[in-house]
Amino acid sequence: MKLFEFEGHKVLASAGIESPAFIVCETAAQVKAARTKLKFPVVAKVQVLSGGRGKAGGVQVCSREAGLLEFAKEFLGKEFPPRLARSSGEAGHGEKVKYILLAQKASFEAEYYVSITYDTALRKPFLMFSEKGGMEIEEVARQNPEEVIKIYIDPVAGPAKGDFKKFPVSFEFATKLWEAFSKNDCRLLEINPLAKTEGGKFLALDAKVILDDNGLGRHEDFDFIPKGAITAAPSERELAAKKIDEGDYRGSAGSAFLDLAGDIAILASGGGASLLVMDSVAAAGGKPANYTEYSGNPSREKVEKLTRIALSRPRLSGCLVAGAVANFTDIYETLAGFADGLKSVKPKVSYPIVVRRGGPRQEEAYKMLKTLAKREGFDIHLFGPQTPISAAAREMVELSEKYKSKSKSKV
Amino acid sequence: MAILINKSTRVLIQGITGKSGTQAASELLDYETKLVAGVTPGKGGEEVDTVPVFNSVVEAMEAAGPIDVSMVYVPPLLAKAAALEAISAQIPLVHIFVEKIPVLDVAQILAAAAKKGVRVLGPASVGVISPGEAKIGSIGGPNPSAVFSKGQVGVISKSGGMCSELAMLITTSGFGQSTVVGVGGDLLTGTSFADLLLEFEDDPATKVVVAFGEVGGSSEIEAAKLIKEGKFTKPFIVFLAGKFAESLPKDTALGHAGAIVGLEANMEEKIKALRGAGAIVAENFEDIPALIKKSI
Repeated sequence: MKLFEFEGHKVLASAGIESPAFIVCETAAQVKAARTKLKFPVVAKVQVLSGGRGKAGGVQVCSREAGLLEFAKEFLGKEFPPRLARSSGEAGHGEKVKYILLAQKASFEAEYYVSITYDTALRKPFLMFSEKGGMEIEEVARQNPEEVIKIYIDPVAGPAKGDFKKFPVSFEFATKLWEAFSKNDCRLLEINPLAKTEGGKFLALDAKVILDDNGLGRHEDFDFIPKGAITAAPSERELAAKKIDEGDYRGSAGSAFLDLAGDIAILASGGGASLLVMDSVAAAGGKPANYTEYSGNPSREKVEKLTRIALSRPRLSGCLVAGAVANFTDIYETLAGFADGLKSVKPKVSYPIVVRRGGPRQEEAYKMLKTLAKREGFDIHLFGPQTPISAAAREMVELSEKYKSKSKSKV
Repeated sequence: MAILINKSTRVLIQGITGKSGTQAASELLDYETKLVAGVTPGKGGEEVDTVPVFNSVVEAMEAAGPIDVSMVYVPPLLAKAAALEAISAQIPLVHIFVEKIPVLDVAQILAAAAKKGVRVLGPASVGVISPGEAKIGSIGGPNPSAVFSKGQVGVISKSGGMCSELAMLITTSGFGQSTVVGVGGDLLTGTSFADLLLEFEDDPATKVVVAFGEVGGSSEIEAAKLIKEGKFTKPFIVFLAGKFAESLPKDTALGHAGAIVGLEANMEEKIKALRGAGAIVAENFEDIPALIKKSI
């Protein structure tokens, strides 16, 4: 889960890393009130999850109240970055600005880049540093790769004192950074820029934090705002899907749910196969209404809940239930969950449903679905493991096209 | 021959009395894998399907003799302690089936394993099967022979489902597998594509290796590097999934914890690195059998 900057400062503060005094505002009235508590000049920053905020004009230094109010009026409640605002409601890439952060402008003598994340090839955490604070690290790495310094960290012992001799960042600060990173189960913790004041103090002028979703279970004290898969504001469907796995680690269903702009509901199975399912639908010319997957033998109830969410979108033209040949996922139980969900959807589903599965109890499951289709009048097309996922996806797209042209001619 | 496991591999299950542990035990026994002991603290003295249960790994090894592989089947937040127990007992291969282990715990497990010279497979690994010899983990479920068959193709995938899917495609087109390995889809994994290619290189039974690659991470790039260095010389066929996600914003997380858009290398970079090293990138999943035929 990616955090807003102001939430990231909380993570840093938990290990004693300081930031300039700041106030988060949601309304112009709050900006007015905040202004009396801060000394000018004040840095105003939109709070969004996407990067490149400064370049897009989302950070401004204001020396008077009028400037702050103008900033608030320009950005609060609007899509950011502004040039993407056209396609709101789509599986959008612009974010609606709900918060702006007002921070006291700090004076300093140097600005650095510092972060901790994992190196997946070496399987270790590492601290990354550059003297070019404020510049994107990818940019620095492209232009002057020798200016990017990596220090690997023992994940049990933490940073080693010897690595920070004659280093612009002190060992004490590196230790605090590691503490913030490890105690909060972060996947990424980035401070850019990190300011060094004349007194030698370090101040985080920004904070980018991505939490490890697998670690959230041991931090019940976290009160961060729920986030969507792509956008800062999760759709109701994304929120509901995420809830399914909460408190029950057995099998996942809906932990990854992305609302997309198409009209074919997707219930894919397996981390790998779900990617193949999506690629296959796209290659056949279809447009998925969502991405989601269930795997690891989730309960019937979990799949039922996920089905209801995936089928809750109006004007769907098809539903594809597809996955690889399962190893240990009980196909009967999971498809029974799908059937339960399907039956409960109002108005009754009339669009075509394509199922492609294999694995334990698949034949029993298909018998059950056949009976259900006959009894309730659902248009279900069943494919076994001998049919490639791509062929099932093509079938789905064709059926959905037919369904759409038929519904049009009725109108 | 095969890699990682064979007929003589002696296996232990940590968490054998749990629901998935018990299921895995019965599957291993059915496949005639040498499952010699189980561990669940506090349940020593019990039996699961004729397999003796002990309170600790050390106790199990004292009573049952040497262990080659420990399979970890415990809840995610207990997995670190269980894996560290197996590592400190220096069991050569620790297979972690458990999903959703916090990445910090994984990093600490892998650091401890590196110090002790122990190989970790996983976390979130479905397991390994050397058809006709043995299996570990839950690969193939209760009926592995429906999908897996003995042959000359080595198979690697992060995804458990795709291990079976690939094996079925290979089996139905008249080929078989030497060993099939699910490495797990987490951000950090103990065994990478490159590690397995080194094993397959030395295995005379393996003539070609097929891998299912994904969006995010660097495993395909590492594999390409290895081939370029001349350390893997057999044909390597890769299919890459997740092209649809390339248009999504950076950092978007998909099904696997390691499937993150923009993490380390994008699709184009992966394809370029693989092709540049001489690997075969399959455009369509169904093209794989024809590519195998050409390579053998």
